[in-house]
Order: sequence, then structure tokens, then C-alpha cells
Amino acid sequence: MIRLGIPGLILSLWFLMAVTGPFLPLHPERIDLVNILTGPGLNEALGYDDLGRPVLDRLLLGASTSFFVAFWVVTISVVIGTFVGTFSAYIGGYVDQVVVRIIDIFLAFPGILLAIALSGIMGPGIENVVVALSIVGWVGFARLARAQTLSLKHREHVVAAVSLGTVQRKIIVRHLFPLISAPLIIEATFGIASVVIAEAGLSFLGLGVQPPDASWGSMIRDGARYMLVAPHMVLAPGIALMLVVLSVNLLGDRLRDWMDVKGRSVVKK
Amino acid sequence: MLVSALLSSCAKQPDDAIRFGLSSAPISLDPRFATDAASARLNRLLYHRLVDFDDSSRPIPSLASWEALTPVHYRFSLKENGRQFQNSRFQKNKSLSTADVKATYDYILKSENASPHRASISLIRDIRVVDEDTIDFYLDRPDPLFPGYLVIGILPAEAVQSGRKFDRMSMGSGEFSFLDWPEDGLIRLKRRSDNQIFEFIHVGDATVRVLKLLRGEIDLLQNDLPRELVSYLEKQDGHKVVHRGGSNFTYIGFNTQDPVLKIDGVRQAIAYAINRDEIIKYVMGGKTRKANALLPPDHWAGNPSLQAYEYNPGRARELLSKLGYNVDQPLSITYKTSSDPFRIRIATIIQQQLAEVGIKVDLRSYDWATFYGDIKEGRFQMYSLSWVGIKSPDIFRYVFHSTAVPPAGANRGRYNNSKVDQLIEQAEKGVDQAERAEVYRKLQEELLMTLPYVPLWYEEHFYAAASSIDGYTLAVDGNYDGLIYVHRTQ
Amino acid sequence: MLNFLFTRLLSALIVMFGVMCMVFFLIHLVPGDPVDMMLGESARLADREAMRVALGLDQPLLVQLQQYFVNLTQFDLGTSLHSRRPISEMLLERLPATLELAIAALVVAVAIAFPLGVIAAIRKDTLWDRGAMSFSLIGMSIPNFWMGPVLILVFSLWLGWFPVSGRDGIGSLVLPAITLGTALAAVLSRMVRSTLLEVLNEDYIRTARAKGLSESSVVLKHGLRNALLPVITLLGLQLGVLLGGAVITETVFSWPGIGKLTIEAILKRDYPVVQACVLLISLAYVFVNVMTDLVYAWVDPRIRTGGKA
Repeated sequence: MIRLGIPGLILSLWFLMAVTGPFLPLHPERIDLVNILTGPGLNEALGYDDLGRPVLDRLLLGASTSFFVAFWVVTISVVIGTFVGTFSAYIGGYVDQVVVRIIDIFLAFPGILLAIALSGIMGPGIENVVVALSIVGWVGFARLARAQTLSLKHREHVVAAVSLGTVQRKIIVRHLFPLISAPLIIEATFGIASVVIAEAGLSFLGLGVQPPDASWGSMIRDGARYMLVAPHMVLAPGIALMLVVLSVNLLGDRLRDWMDVKGRSVVKK
Repeated sequence: MLVSALLSSCAKQPDDAIRFGLSSAPISLDPRFATDAASARLNRLLYHRLVDFDDSSRPIPSLASWEALTPVHYRFSLKENGRQFQNSRFQKNKSLSTADVKATYDYILKSENASPHRASISLIRDIRVVDEDTIDFYLDRPDPLFPGYLVIGILPAEAVQSGRKFDRMSMGSGEFSFLDWPEDGLIRLKRRSDNQIFEFIHVGDATVRVLKLLRGEIDLLQNDLPRELVSYLEKQDGHKVVHRGGSNFTYIGFNTQDPVLKIDGVRQAIAYAINRDEIIKYVMGGKTRKANALLPPDHWAGNPSLQAYEYNPGRARELLSKLGYNVDQPLSITYKTSSDPFRIRIATIIQQQLAEVGIKVDLRSYDWATFYGDIKEGRFQMYSLSWVGIKSPDIFRYVFHSTAVPPAGANRGRYNNSKVDQLIEQAEKGVDQAERAEVYRKLQEELLMTLPYVPLWYEEHFYAAASSIDGYTLAVDGNYDGLIYVHRTQ
Repeated sequence: MLNFLFTRLLSALIVMFGVMCMVFFLIHLVPGDPVDMMLGESARLADREAMRVALGLDQPLLVQLQQYFVNLTQFDLGTSLHSRRPISEMLLERLPATLELAIAALVVAVAIAFPLGVIAAIRKDTLWDRGAMSFSLIGMSIPNFWMGPVLILVFSLWLGWFPVSGRDGIGSLVLPAITLGTALAAVLSRMVRSTLLEVLNEDYIRTARAKGLSESSVVLKHGLRNALLPVITLLGLQLGVLLGGAVITETVFSWPGIGKLTIEAILKRDYPVVQACVLLISLAYVFVNVMTDLVYAWVDPRIRTGGKA
């Protein structure tokens, strides 16, 4: 089994914050100009932000935004990417050629421009951020899934399954997915991190989460402006983001090792 | 003169340069085409104009004084000062004459040259050189504000006729001469009176700009910092910060065709619900002034006796409840703003203040191009923006006249008030400045009463400099003319 | 092989064409008008129209697109709508800065990633491994727009070692290179670790060990050398990405590179500049890709034949 440990704990906390956040008695939007940039103290554990709003409350609210964006973007990207990549490689021929060209075009296209353009066309807002980032995000997974499938297509057990006349779908699900899932999961863990950061980048251009809502990314962006005078504003979301990304990646690592062992035993049989 | 200039320019070490931190990069140093604020401010240093403005925005002679021979015939006489063009590879010791004035303005007037400044002077029918120092402008129609339109830097005629490009060089007669522009974010100029070198360095990030000042990588910066960073700078040793009031006007604009916002009570409720004192106290600079009209009270056509909408949430609630809205049944309004963090910060406070009286504001921030496109098309209920560098009261026709709906003008709120139209036209026909000023005051009273805009404030200007920098002064419109007198003390 | 090269180049051309069409329509689809951006608040209608005609923006989109491709075949990138400068000149001015930063960032990444990756692989599943990997992950978990200002604060203001920003000598390169390089190092060190682990399990390594070679010689000579190919591939791909410029890092450090130019052009709706930047970015990417494919095809003939079957 995978050891969950502290990373597991942190991620559970993240999840818990994301799910319960909207129901807690928080005041993430209460502006109190007297408290602008007041540092952490007895009344407020993490201090106040540039509008005198409690940073802790906003951190909890931001947890759910960032979770929502990361979860949906990565899920959508992985599903679409894996599906397209695997089938394209498996089917091969002209279909594959076309898919590869499309993937290439998307990869060669600067992602930030695509995201800006899409957000501009659809209007700002967190749902549109999910769509924009998914449109950019699926390509990486598709490419990886395709490469993996190509290299596995010729592995003994797949060739064997084909020659035994196994149904295609079954080959893909039974023999390909388990083997390509490991690198995809690793890619997905990195994906969570980069999605959270990309969301912040769009917020930076005003296309992400709209005020007064908060995401960790937008909090870091705002906080960086006041770094000289109120470091707590940028430290709190920065550390939260770092812990989550770190935990996701550590768990991803453990998952990979675990799958590696399993995968190898299958092949060596 | 030339030899001494060469000698001293060789002797000056580049380390002596005074470095000025810019928050946005200039785009073009060609006065015929530049429109962004940073370019315009540098061009003021490189070129002289026929006409300038005093602190009350009255046109005053710069290169030339003028008289109106008839309402459609102006005679300009060049003065002695400021006429020596900077020496360059292409010209030596050339002096500015009326031929240069004609060449510059003829170029702008030619529509195929697509100068963005053409329309502002398109009422010019003909320009005739009388002699080397005298030039006549003939107009299509009378416009008493005309001299105030002649604010474009004068280029040498030969250079204009040869089609030379001036985007990244200059041949002006201003107080500064152009040295080089080695990369987008760095421009070097030389002050002609003493060969002091100035570097203009673009540093977009506010925190980085402050750090550069503290580290001595720049000596001087002006505006565009969050208030908290300004206070931080004020507390640092070895630096000084100076503030002054400005004339750049920030407002909330409404779509007066919108079914909700066309109701007077709603716009008034918004005006009463905004606590400007609190916003200015906590997030604006200390010299920010509350505004009641587009022109500041010290403008020659400004109105100092306007009755402000003071913060009065009770009155706002009352107005809304008459219309059937309250905190439980709030009125919903979409509020668009640019994605500049400072604008978002202000907008978020306003959102909160409106929520307290029962207006639920859906705040949407867009990158500048999208935002600007939207408000021009009338795709908004409410937005906020600033007017920067407004001098002439012809702005009222451009912004509030019913015929000025975009693309013809900037009446983005589709404001239609026959009384305002009539006052604008009456002011334009006024005999003397005093009479016109009186009508403009009445006009601003009417505008404040009917609220196509909720006026917010005139933002302050400030500069921060190393203590070794002396003699810099701030202009009311935020230009960089103070650099003409600035010097480094040891 | 020649045949393979030809098809790869042809497909690269198709990709470039696709990218250019996509960027053309996208940038025109986004709301916002370059003429508005240029003329500012107080321009009048007649100015706008004159400007539109002067810039050729009054033509139908397809005509503009066609004209753009015609110009491209003559290596004419056009002129910037805003500054009216030839775009090729603007790109050439920015390219050295971007190259410099990209290479410096790669150097930083390699310098961090290789020691970390090797240590983690040799001491797999120990505290060393976890430490090295966590360290690399922390580097990746810090967004550039956070790390940049923090580095400036510590190393420029407090310690006074490097200039705050700008491009002025080798010193000014250090902080942006570290900001960019650390994120890259995280990915790279994991790659080094995993490929090295894979290689170390191969038969010939066991043979080398059995021959009694020292562990360091086994790892460095046989292991690392064979693990290099995928790592170099990754480096190449990253270089392709870096050549496109690092928008946020360049903005924070006022680094006059391509990334900053691109984002400024997008925000100003300077269509031809956006198109030229995207052309350059995707060209770099496609070039690196073709090179990678060629290297792979050369090493692993299965791809050459299998992929085309």
C-alpha cells in the first residue's frame, strides 16, 4: 500500500477546507479599511490584506477556488488527453497523423496567449478559466499518452494479446492503461501545481477569479505588491500553495513507485 | 559652443547620469504620432510647442505669442527663446523658423499621414508663413479655444519633407537632446544647458521600482505606487517623497440607456453610498482631492462652488427603498473595471460600500483593450475610469453632447440631455473667456445634478528621490518638466 | 532517413501554417481594437478611420491573412502598429536577451538537477532521496512572480550582491536565471533520477558491477551516459519553451526579452507583433521538436518505421 503520511494529511486538509469552506462562518469579503495590511496578531492569526480583510478567511476561501480549478482542469485534461493520445497511437495511420499535427499546433502555440484569447472571448470568470486552461492542458497528456502507447504497442504482452484475438477495447483498458497510467499520474501531479500557478497568471491579467472572491494565486499576486511592507500577505498563500504542491508531488512519487513495482511484476511474469 | 559641448560630453562619466524610473515604457518619440502619456512627457523635454498652459489650464505662449485678427484668423509670432534645434548628423546650428511650424502642421493635417492628432486641429483651413518669425492660421469656423490645440512639438522642415522617421530619435529644439535608445526600456537624453545625462528606465513592477530606488539604481520615480509603498519610502533614510494635488479626474460612468441606471434615483443612491473620504484616507495619496466635476475647481472654467454628494448611506437606502430595493431584495449591477490592481482595489471597496445600502455589485475586470472596447461599444452598466491631461473645456462636447456617442465622441453612457447640449453650444459661442467660463460652470452644475458620471477625485502626484537629487518640481498634470531644473548635490 | 527528414520538415511546415492561422483569427476574435489602444482617449472618429486605412485594418480579414502570408514568403514580418518600427528589427533587438536568459536558466537547472538527481537515484528510498526530491519540488512549487521579488529583496536589497533589475552585465543575469532555472531544475532532477534508476536496472550495468567496477564509475560512466538521451531531449524541449520567453520573469526583472514583447503586444492588440512573436516562439519549438525526432529516429529505428506504418 502507499504510505500517505504527512502529505496525505495536508491534502485531506486541503480537501476538507475546499468542501467545508463555503459553510464555515467566515468573513473573507468583509472590508475593514482601518486594518489594512495589519500583521498577524491575537485577533487575527494571519493578519489582514490590502483591504483589511482577514487573510486566514481568504486563505480558506481560496483553498476551495484553487481546488476547484485544479481538480477540474486536471481531470478534464487527463481524460481528454489520455483518450485522444491512446486511441490515436493505437489506431495509427492518417487519424494519428492528423491528431499529431493538432497536438503539435497546440504545443507550438504559446499557452498563455491561448488562455488570454479564450478568456477574452468568453469573458472573465473562474469557470472560463477552467475551460481555457483545459484547452491548453489536454495536449500535454495526449502527447504523453500517445508516446507511451507507441512504445508499449510492441511490448510482448500487448502483441500477445493482439495475436490471441483480444478485443481492442479490452487491450487498451486491460493492457495499455495500467502501464501508461503511471507516467500520466506523475504528469498529473505536476499538472495540479502548474494549473494553480497558471490560474494565478490569468488572475494577474485580471482574467481569473473576480473580486471579491479569492484564489491562492490571486492572493500571492496581490501580496507580492506589498511584499516590502506586509510580507504576511504573500507568505500565507505562498506557503499554503507550496505545501499542497509538495504533497501532491510526494504522493505522486509514492504512487509511481508503487505502480512501478506492480507494473514490473506483470511484465516479468 | 559645439566644441565645448563635445568636450564636456566626453568628460562626463555615464555614472553621473540621473536615472528616472518609468512605470510604463514610451512608445514613440515622434510628436506627430505619440499619444501615450510617457511619450508625450518625454516629448515635452525634446521639443518646444507653440502654446502651453498655466496651472489654471489657460493657454499661454510657449514658442509663440498670438493674437486673433478675426475669429477665424490667428497670427502667431515666434519669440526669441527655445528656437535652437539640437545639432545632429543631418543639421548643424539650425534655428527654428515659421517654415518648420508650417511643415510640421501641414504634415499632421494631411489625412494620408494618419496622425492621431489630426482631428484636433482639422479646423485649420490654411497655414501661411508671413515672415521668418510670423505665421498665420486660417480656420474653417471660429473656435475661441483654438490656440490651446497647438501643442505639438515642432520638427525641422527639412527632416519632415525628407520623410525621416522620428520614432527613435529626435531633432527638437527642446531643453533636452536625444542621445540613444539602445533597448525598449532605456532612453538616454542630455540636458542641453549643462550636458547632464538622463536615463529613463522602464521598471514595470512597483515593488522592483522601489527597490531600485533604495539601491541607487534609479534616482527618481514619479507616481504609480501603492500608497503603502509610498509610506514605506517616506520612512527610509536617504530618500524624500514630495506630494502635490493633480488634475487627473477619476469617475464612475453609467449607461444612461440601461433600464435600471436610467432612473435618477439609482444613480443618486450610488453617489450617496460611496464614502470617498474613507477611500482617500486609507488607500489614496494624501493630496488627493474629492472631485465634483471633470475640471478641477482651479481650472479657468472650473466651478468651485458645486454642492457635493456627501456620504449618506441613509439617504441612499431611502432612495432605493422608494424604488422597491433593499438589503434583502438588492439591486444587481455589473461594474466593469480594468485589471490594473489599483483599480481593482478601489472597485472592491466601492462594491462593499454599495452592498451596505443594498446594491449587489458584480465586479468584472478586463485587460485594458477589452475593457476599453466594451465601454466604447456601450456594453456596460457601470464602469470607472480617469480622464488624464484634460486642458480645454472642449472635452464637454466630446463627452456629454448627445451627438458625441461613440465612435463620433466619447459619450459612452449615451447621455442625452438637451439642456446640456444647449449649454455646450452656448459656451462655444461665448464672446470672452469670462462669459464662456460662466456657462461652463452652469454646465457642470447641471452635470452634477443629473449624474451621467459620479465624480470621484483628482488623483495626487508624488515623486520619490534620493536625497542627493534637488530641484525637481511636480506639475499639475504629471509631466516631467521638473527635470529641466533638477540637479545632483554631492 | 532522408525520406523521414522530408516528411518531418513538411509536417513542421503544416504545423507552422496552422499556428499562424490560429493566432491570426484568435487575436482578431478577442475584443479590443489596436487603433483605440494607439490613439488613446481623446482621438476623434476621423483619426481612427484614417489610421485604420493607413494600417490596412479596413481590409477584410481573409485579405489581411493572405497579405500576411505573401509578405512572409518574402521574409517581411511587417511593422509594428504602435511604434511603426520594422518588427524584424524589434525581434533582433530582443533575441540576444532571451537567448542569454534561456541559456543561463538551463545552466542553473543543470547545475542543480544533476547532483540532486544522481544522489537521489544512488541513494534511492533513503533520506537523501527524499531530501533531494523534496528540495527540487519546493523549487517548482514557488511561482516565479513570488520568487523573483523575494530573490530581489534578499540578494539585491539586503545583501547587495546583484542589481535589482535590468540587463546590465553578467550580474544582472543571475537572479532571473535562478528564478527561471529552479522550476526547470525540479522537473529535470526527477527526470535524471528516474532514467538513471531505469538504466541502473539494465543488464549491462549489472555486468559492469559484476566486473567489479567501482560504484561511482558504474553510475557516472555507464549509468549517466546512457541516461543522458531522454534528459537531453527534455532540455531541448525546455530550451524551445524558454526561447519563447518567460513572460513573468522578464516582467519582474525588466528583462527586455521576447516574452515581455509578446505580452505587451497582446495587451496593446499590436497584431503583427503578436503574430511575429508567435511565429518565432513556435518556430523555436518546432525546430527543437524536429531535431529531437531526428535524434530519436537515429537512435531507435522502430520509431522511424513503426510510427509511419
